[in-house]
Amino acid sequence: MSEGIVALIRQGAPTPCAGRFVLEAEAWQAMIAGLSAADLPLLGLWSDGVQVHALFHHDPMPLVASVVVSSGGYPALSPVRVGARAPERIIHDLWGIPAIRGRCDPWLDQGRWPVASPLAAHPAPTPGLPEGREFIDDAAVRQAGGTVLGYGPAEGNFRAPFHLRLGLPGARIEAVQPCMGYAHRGVAARLRGLAPQQAARLVARIDAPATVAHQLAFARALHNATGTVMPAQDVAAGVMLGAMERIATHLDVLAQASAIVGDGRSATLAASMLEQMRQICRNICGRRLLFDVIPPAAAFLMNVDGTQLATLAAQHALLHRLFWRPRGLAAQARGKGVLSATMAARLGIMGCNARAAQKGQGDVTDRLEARLGEIGASLSLLAAPPESAVMEVEGGGGEGLGWAEGPAGPVWHWLRLEAGHVAAWWCGEPSLAQVQALPAILSGAAYEDVDLIVVSLGLSATGADL
Amino acid sequence: MAQLHMFWPDGTALPRLEALDIFHIESGGCTGCALELASLSRALLAGNHPIRFVPTPRQAGMLLLTGSLTVGMAPVVELAWQAMPGPRVLAVVGDCAVDGGLFGGNYAVLGGVGVRARSNVSLPGCPPAPDEILAALVRWQAAEGKR
Ligand code: SF4
Repeated sequence: MSEGIVALIRQGAPTPCAGRFVLEAEAWQAMIAGLSAADLPLLGLWSDGVQVHALFHHDPMPLVASVVVSSGGYPALSPVRVGARAPERIIHDLWGIPAIRGRCDPWLDQGRWPVASPLAAHPAPTPGLPEGREFIDDAAVRQAGGTVLGYGPAEGNFRAPFHLRLGLPGARIEAVQPCMGYAHRGVAARLRGLAPQQAARLVARIDAPATVAHQLAFARALHNATGTVMPAQDVAAGVMLGAMERIATHLDVLAQASAIVGDGRSATLAASMLEQMRQICRNICGRRLLFDVIPPAAAFLMNVDGTQLATLAAQHALLHRLFWRPRGLAAQARGKGVLSATMAARLGIMGCNARAAQKGQGDVTDRLEARLGEIGASLSLLAAPPESAVMEVEGGGGEGLGWAEGPAGPVWHWLRLEAGHVAAWWCGEPSLAQVQALPAILSGAAYEDVDLIVVSLGLSATGADL
Repeated sequence: MAQLHMFWPDGTALPRLEALDIFHIESGGCTGCALELASLSRALLAGNHPIRFVPTPRQAGMLLLTGSLTVGMAPVVELAWQAMPGPRVLAVVGDCAVDGGLFGGNYAVLGGVGVRARSNVSLPGCPPAPDEILAALVRWQAAEGKR
């Protein structure tokens, strides 16, 4: 069935971006009708003001279906792909373009932006709401009755701000309403008109724990747009720096999760390994956090000291033992915050959280175990770097799509260049799908476990809000 | 002189620290500064140092902001400040918080608290390292002590 949809999309008008086709309105409708029975995960949905683009996962190459926005908007994908709900609301927030038969209530704009549709050609000034947007409890919260508790946006922790409104009729959470936008910095508006080098600096600062993935995905999109191959040396640097980032971010998650459940030994060990990793980053790149490392400097030499790697490998083995010891982190997190493989597939969640769901039941323990496993694999990769070849380009007509595997899942960048500058840009990030999965993941959880569950997902509001 | 064991072998020499409870808010950056604060917080905790990061503004003496202050976070920051007891001080850490940095003012961002309010500690950097953040806090404590 999905092959039929793929063929339908490919019958659209080809574009300068490899794998992107513009569909007539009727074909878009036919695609929506066919999607309900097709296995074609939606990875992202965005607009450039003229068209709306839907990114689908398809081997060996991703597919983008586009449709021209009419005066009434565009037919919604959310009736057949739940993961489209948030992006449809975001498109409405940013461009004022409604999804026909989709929801148009705000996702990012909590009533405090001074303009409506800030990315549109002529954004209209709005007086804003002095008190911000009021929470309107949906049916689930109303039915839950009982207590309503909040989580975020300021918990005194070190993560990006977002808010959850949680309905607890008893001891367990029954209703979850995420409220986003606190971390929205208007990155798409900032990137417009920038030269690629300036844009890359900003892209590196979308989300610090996944900065290498963002830099790499953006660089790949740029190479595809300009039709220039990515040199083998840059490809190799990307692989190694990506491994370093994965180790550091996974260790940060494990240190946080251990601290939350009161496992001091694991927390100290993971934090100590993290600091060693940051030191290695500083030795190699001149900075503890891996900003502005792609494209690598001409003199860049990727060489991790063997003794340091051996120490980390031994500590990793110990961390693994501590994780599985009786009453250790694994035992304490078992059964909490389940993200099932079915839910992951429905929302287009990929990466380590999806792999954890496929391997086990998809609870916090499975996710942390997946991260532990990836730390080991990444350490091995650093010890024996693979051969790298140049990245061949696809397209080259001024528009490109690129992706990279980040610590919490794949990161996508799409861009269009005009006169050598960024004219339009989009970024797809795993956190937006995670936020949409939170009502299912947190349902039945105790309030005390919300922090642990959120940490185990690697959820980043800066990535989701942009 | 006390040593701050920053988890790496050499540690950092420290003067005597005064007790200080800090409430941190990430107000809209990339969380790079917050990651470095997390490193500092873990090191301070591991060494039983009297500077602590606390989970509520109601017991904090210092509000420490990272990020460029989005319009959504401005009222949250204001509420946290109002909830703090007694004499309280403001610290802005990182380019974003000092003057907006790469995330200057636009429809969604006010562009850093540092340019809007008088701060007691102001530390640029993108991001400043944990030992630089600690040094700034120590410098401020020393200057306060001389008053
Ligand atoms: S100052 Fe730099 S590191 Fe800190 S939050 Fe802003 S962009 Fe991130």
